[in-house]
Amino acid sequence: MAICTVYTTQSLNSTCSVSKPAKPQLGFHQKQVVFFTKSRRRSGMSSCGSSVITCSAGEQRTVVIGLAADSGCGKSTFMRRLTSVFGGAAEPPRGGNPDSNTLISDTTTVICLDDYHSLDRTGRKEKGVTALDPRANDFDLMYEQVKAIKDGIAVEKPIYNHVTGLLDPPETIKPPKILVIEGLHPMYDARVRDLLDFSIYLDISNEVKFAWKIQRDMAERGHSLESIKASIEARKPDFDAYIDPQKQYADAVIEVLPTQLIPDDNEGKVLRVRLIMKEGVTYFSPVYLFDEGSTISWIPCGRKLTCSYPGINFSYGPDTYYGHEVSVLEMDGQFDRLDELIYVESHLSNISTKFYGEITQQLLKHSDFPGSNNGTGLFQTIVGLKIRDLFEQIVASRAATPLEATKA
Amino acid sequence: MASFVALCAPSHGSQGSILSSSFSIRSGALCDVSRPLRSPKKVNLCVKAMGVVKFKGTQMREKQLTELIEKKVLEAKQVCEGDETSDECKVAWDEVEEVSQAKADLRRKMEKEDPLESYCQENPENEECRIYED
Repeated sequence: MAICTVYTTQSLNSTCSVSKPAKPQLGFHQKQVVFFTKSRRRSGMSSCGSSVITCSAGEQRTVVIGLAADSGCGKSTFMRRLTSVFGGAAEPPRGGNPDSNTLISDTTTVICLDDYHSLDRTGRKEKGVTALDPRANDFDLMYEQVKAIKDGIAVEKPIYNHVTGLLDPPETIKPPKILVIEGLHPMYDARVRDLLDFSIYLDISNEVKFAWKIQRDMAERGHSLESIKASIEARKPDFDAYIDPQKQYADAVIEVLPTQLIPDDNEGKVLRVRLIMKEGVTYFSPVYLFDEGSTISWIPCGRKLTCSYPGINFSYGPDTYYGHEVSVLEMDGQFDRLDELIYVESHLSNISTKFYGEITQQLLKHSDFPGSNNGTGLFQTIVGLKIRDLFEQIVASRAATPLEATKA
Repeated sequence: MASFVALCAPSHGSQGSILSSSFSIRSGALCDVSRPLRSPKKVNLCVKAMGVVKFKGTQMREKQLTELIEKKVLEAKQVCEGDETSDECKVAWDEVEEVSQAKADLRRKMEKEDPLESYCQENPENEECRIYED
């Protein structure tokens, strides 16, 4: 809670008044009080000048998280887990455009960056650019609006309608406690990157991507294995050029690969998932196994824990990733039973849970979500908890900062 | 948690659908009459293999996306016949990806309730909020 001291002058010109600007213009957490004084500041105006004192309730400045991934790679599932960790269910804005991509919960607003497409479907066809191409996106607007929200100012954000392929009239986004921007390019533009308090990249290998898209599309009329494959291949050059390079900027990368536990497995059901965590990120302490900074190989299945085929393998250790020091936690295999989950959770450190078994509880709560029995669900949940921890640390540190005063 | 199984009369459909309350959703349930149920209210609620469809708008979106996917896949195959590395070919398959993902997102939203539920509460007179009849 910020403390603001306000002074009123004795002699106010009768035409002057103290007023508060209209609420919608401000973030809920910034109160501006405008004082009108006697000094003549502008010609042709009333004889009231004004000075503005801004009180910042420091702990309520919006925390911005970026999530990058290709289409069809699990962003929605990640969002649902993330918002659940923060509390509450995220839903589309009530009563607005039914095709809005935005999700809102008590604490969190999730914005889909497709809303910043500068070209709609027809426009992209005409210009010969895919949605992956930066030329199809308005990074200036993206930067302006994310910055505004971060500064506590509501924005009118465009809506990209995925059904019609058109850009719909804008919707109002009020600054939340946590803003998540998810899409193809959250870390592409350097200015936007600098606004992010934390960033995540979902790196899905080609084989797994293919398997997931088969699961997604095979029931659709018109699709076949060939068309699914052709779509992935055709998009690959743009994906490699514009999307993939963002992973070097991410604070955490969740890499999803085929399992190494089953020789020649091509079903893509059992997954090997690596959580690559950057070292030295403010308010983010990487998860570790047993001994931080050492290299560990761990098979929990044995005398105390029986697992069914193909079992579970963990590893942990330091590494470098695109020139950065990282710690990598890896899980290969599947959880079959509740006790396997809780056993694994009890051996992980720095997981930022608020109570014993919180990870297990979160995974069980959403057992119908894809990946709830493997590393994708586990690491997404862990990242969610780390972000919650990061948010709370930021809030605590801002509350300790003295109030800022600015004069117009 | 209330959930419904609705039975829709398919080809001889003039009787419309019948609603019964408090059954569990069988997500594989097709809109076929398997047994008659009596209920005072006649509300059209169809739990298709895809999910909950109550309003015209949702049925329209589902249909639109299904047709779009088919259309775009055919287009892409045609466009890419000439040159697989051309911009037109890339864009065509990107469109296929976009509509495929949009359909998947709609399917997911439809799992628990019709996605237009809250919109239609506020805008019941909207064309899209007409109750969907098979």
